Amino acid sequence: MRSQPQEDTKLLILPTHLVDRLKAIATRQGVSLSSFAAESLEQVLRADEMDASLSEAVDAYRLSEMQRGAGMVDIPRSSLNHLIEKLYPKKGGDLKRVWGEAGHWYGEYIRAKLRPEETLGFLEKELLVAWNLDEAEVKESETDVSVRWVSFTMTEEFTELLLSYLSAVMDALGYREVERDSLRGMATLKYTTIGAQ
Amino acid sequence: MLAADEELANKVAELASRRGLTVRQTVNDILEQALRVEEAGISLKEVVEERWMLEKAQEIGFTFVPEHLLYQVVDAAYGQGGKQLSDTWRGVGGWYGKYFSAKTDKPLDAFKEAMGLLTFGASGFSLDKQKDDNLAVTCVSERFTEGFTEVFGLFIEGVLEVLGYEVSDREVSKGIIKLKLVKRR
Repeated sequence: MRSQPQEDTKLLILPTHLVDRLKAIATRQGVSLSSFAAESLEQVLRADEMDASLSEAVDAYRLSEMQRGAGMVDIPRSSLNHLIEKLYPKKGGDLKRVWGEAGHWYGEYIRAKLRPEETLGFLEKELLVAWNLDEAEVKESETDVSVRWVSFTMTEEFTELLLSYLSAVMDALGYREVERDSLRGMATLKYTTIGAQ
Repeated sequence: MLAADEELANKVAELASRRGLTVRQTVNDILEQALRVEEAGISLKEVVEERWMLEKAQEIGFTFVPEHLLYQVVDAAYGQGGKQLSDTWRGVGGWYGKYFSAKTDKPLDAFKEAMGLLTFGASGFSLDKQKDDNLAVTCVSERFTEGFTEVFGLFIEGVLEVLGYEVSDREVSKGIIKLKLVKRR
């Protein structure tokens, strides 16, 4: 005997060509097809409420996985700004060096983790999301790579350190900095492939 | 046929209308995308949760930084003069306490949520409500340096003081923060 839908439910038609795949995943997860489908609909609606498509959410997930794998932590920018402002006058050189080292390590890490054609696109998202910048653009042409970023709240010292970090990341990815134009919270950089004329 | 909760079905219908598609096309599209994610071995729920967490972190002014770099910077600054640094971290905590109070009527829950972002799974954090509205807070990480443990403890205190609590017992040593707080009357 088939049970009748309750009054507070509605019937949605599932496309037949997806039913076998849905059943396979639902079985693997030990849930009913209905539960799996309803959960999927709910999650996609939740992403939609954040104005995000599922592919954007997947990108964000992969970015977080990479950050976590690379030993990144999330902290209030204001605390970090204060630390940097406090140390920079006496230890600016040391700070630039350790940020450069951290950038080089991170560049090697993403080079090992991603396909070469993915690294620059990933770096653009990482600048925007992980470093909480207001704008970030990484553009590759036949001969060079240009990077531009803007943050309306970044201090001058933080800007300098992020530049050291980024250039070290790019160095690890095989690019040498050839142009730099920067102001507080803003930078335009150009890189060429190491070994290129 | 999928028997869906009426509210869920209505939301799908609204989405379909916004996208200028039929409900059937929309369900088809959503499930196709969901299957692609799950078939790639990723949990759709985790994906959406992570996206939400990143959005929250950006919204409240967080930034990612390599963990070891953070500890190096904190320790160096702490060595140069702990008092001023301590005041700053407590002050930043106070700012977040005010922010959570203004933003939500459940600021303690919002703080717990934010700690999930801050610690990013790297440490154990718990905040338990006890008798008479008192609180017990524990944050443990083998990776925290002595200086970072100290300032991070002050950050937590700063948040909770603004939320109406006073520290009644404090145990902070490298990698371990244990606080007991009483509700101010």
